[in-house]
Amino acid sequence: MNREQFLERVREATLAGRAYRVAPGPALPERVGYVGGGDDLVESLASEINAVGGWATVVDDAEAARQALVELFDIYQPKSAICWRHPLLDRIGLGDFLKARGVAQLDHASLSLEAPDARRAQVVDADIGVTSVSYAVAETGTLAVAARPGQERLASLLPPVHIAIVERSQIVPDLFDLFSIISQQAPNDMPTNLALITGPSKTGDIELTLITGVHGPGKWHVIILR
Amino acid sequence: MTADYSRHEHHEFLQATELAMADVSLQGALSNLGTTLGQRNRVAFEILPESDLLRAKARAIKDAALAELDTHLLTLEASVKRRGGEVHFAADGPDACQIIAGILRQAGARRVVKSKSMTSEEIHLNPALEAEGFEVVETDFGEYIIQVAGQRPSHLVAPAMHLRVGDVAKILSPEAGETLPDDGPVLANFARRRLRDAFATADAGITGANFAIAETGSIVLVENEGNIRLSTSLPRIHIAVVGIEKVIPKLADLPVFLKILARAATGQKISVYTSLITGARSAEELDGPEKFHLVLLDNGRSKILGGPLRESLFCIRCGACLNACPIYRNIGGHAYGGVYAGPIGAVLTPLYDGLAANRHLPHASSLCGACQAACPVKIAIPEMLIQLREQLHHEPGELGRLESLAYRLWARSMRSPRAYGIATWLATRTAGRIWPRRWIAKLPGGLRGWTNTRDFPAPAQKRFRDWWENEGKKEDAQ
Repeated sequence: MNREQFLERVREATLAGRAYRVAPGPALPERVGYVGGGDDLVESLASEINAVGGWATVVDDAEAARQALVELFDIYQPKSAICWRHPLLDRIGLGDFLKARGVAQLDHASLSLEAPDARRAQVVDADIGVTSVSYAVAETGTLAVAARPGQERLASLLPPVHIAIVERSQIVPDLFDLFSIISQQAPNDMPTNLALITGPSKTGDIELTLITGVHGPGKWHVIILR
Repeated sequence: MTADYSRHEHHEFLQATELAMADVSLQGALSNLGTTLGQRNRVAFEILPESDLLRAKARAIKDAALAELDTHLLTLEASVKRRGGEVHFAADGPDACQIIAGILRQAGARRVVKSKSMTSEEIHLNPALEAEGFEVVETDFGEYIIQVAGQRPSHLVAPAMHLRVGDVAKILSPEAGETLPDDGPVLANFARRRLRDAFATADAGITGANFAIAETGSIVLVENEGNIRLSTSLPRIHIAVVGIEKVIPKLADLPVFLKILARAATGQKISVYTSLITGARSAEELDGPEKFHLVLLDNGRSKILGGPLRESLFCIRCGACLNACPIYRNIGGHAYGGVYAGPIGAVLTPLYDGLAANRHLPHASSLCGACQAACPVKIAIPEMLIQLREQLHHEPGELGRLESLAYRLWARSMRSPRAYGIATWLATRTAGRIWPRRWIAKLPGGLRGWTNTRDFPAPAQKRFRDWWENEGKKEDAQ
């Protein structure tokens, strides 16, 4: 069956199916299901992140954010880090910070030099991923990360630890807000990959019991700048 | 018929049910389903304001989307092409398998990682690809376990939920080449390491999709583990096989579904990872596939779309009806014998796979309505099961001659008050007098099937209309 026959069959079925449309439901308020992010978006985001098994740290400025990074790097002792290129990460001086600690920085600049297979081998072994976000959603504790050159999808995915740095202006109250912002840019400007991340990697596949870190990062830290 | 009902479809339903009921391990695995997933679903919706209206909205979006599905498919196709993707149209399962094998062959691919996809189960993709010499690895933890075990998934979202931790250790130990302990995190860590190798060397990733967005050409994938993100980020080819009913018109429709899907499935507000994938990666990006293929699958969906059970296409595969169903919670998923288990499976399997081959499924329900109450898009599953039962009675050979005669007599006596009067008079004067007690414990001959599992109400000794004439009217007058 070719494309035309396939679509013709669907067209006929679509028309015939209109006789079986379900009874119209109740009248729906404009913003049904809108939850919002409460009075303090930063606090809501932090508390939702903690509720889904992440660790949120709220800090006042770039200096405090760097200090929070120091504490996390002391815990995990990473040897290599996959990093985004992002103005917020520049502001807290991530590059210098990694250099000072002797952590190998894998980013767009260094990885571009490698052939695809060598690149894959390097990133698979990275100990930690450091990113910012495109947006964060206070309602659900969600980080939206759009793939762009310099903002690799693997940074938030491959290493066992993911640290994200978020600032207040990136936070939206509700999932509906997030999609209304993205919708305004759509349809031509959708990133090739937009991932909404809400928590460390989880599975309940054995006896419905929660296990973290099965494929993605098992440790998920979010540093939020007020 | 053997205990292999966990491996094969189309077995004898009643025998499989008996095996399942006698399987101590399975019963242990099933025992906490209602109090975990089932309970979490209810709590998650309770704390969401206006959740009932949100479900109504999701339902309305699905209904409207299907009413214009032909247009949305054209829009989707154009959007995917605009972003450099290729769109393929597969009329049925074999067609889809052939298309996918063709894509892989042409790209010189050999190793495939797969993420969990019920659609790929439906078209039996793995055996088809393996027969063509491709190596296929399931990467969802539960799917990986059952692939190693050679079994079928038993639940829409928790495919290995029929297994205990000890079973999993036994299944994975030969893979590990050592005896793995009965310890969930250790087993998961083994799978993580083993599957990392698969991801690192795979040529192609094959996924399904939870939604496809017509206006942007995006497919949406929802998961908790991260294996879907890996499958769509590391290999150089991404193939998504998607049923045509998964199309929603606009990006703005998506949050409605994201808010209900995870709540219904696991009680989460939103799943850990939601990926919106729009085409292949751009030239400057370092990760992501170089080619994106969307395989749109009909496989009987257009037939359902044009008929009275159209509403079954609203299903978003969350598994809530399975967790709520007293039948599923007793027999598990394998006994249903089809790809889709539970209440929605009892509807979908006969529709996709043929009613005659799955004649027991519409009856595998007490019609209690728990499935419909749990459904995030409020699908009227009990009503559809009744419709399927009715259709079954028109299948040739479905009813014995005697049963057919009995129904005809019953139908005739119900059609006229006079015939009904005579029939009930006869029943009270004969059977009503023979069985003075109110319940019959054992019916004779071919009717014994009924009383094997429950009593049959005996006809009364006096008809209601006689009682009404003599006494009821007097009471009524008082």
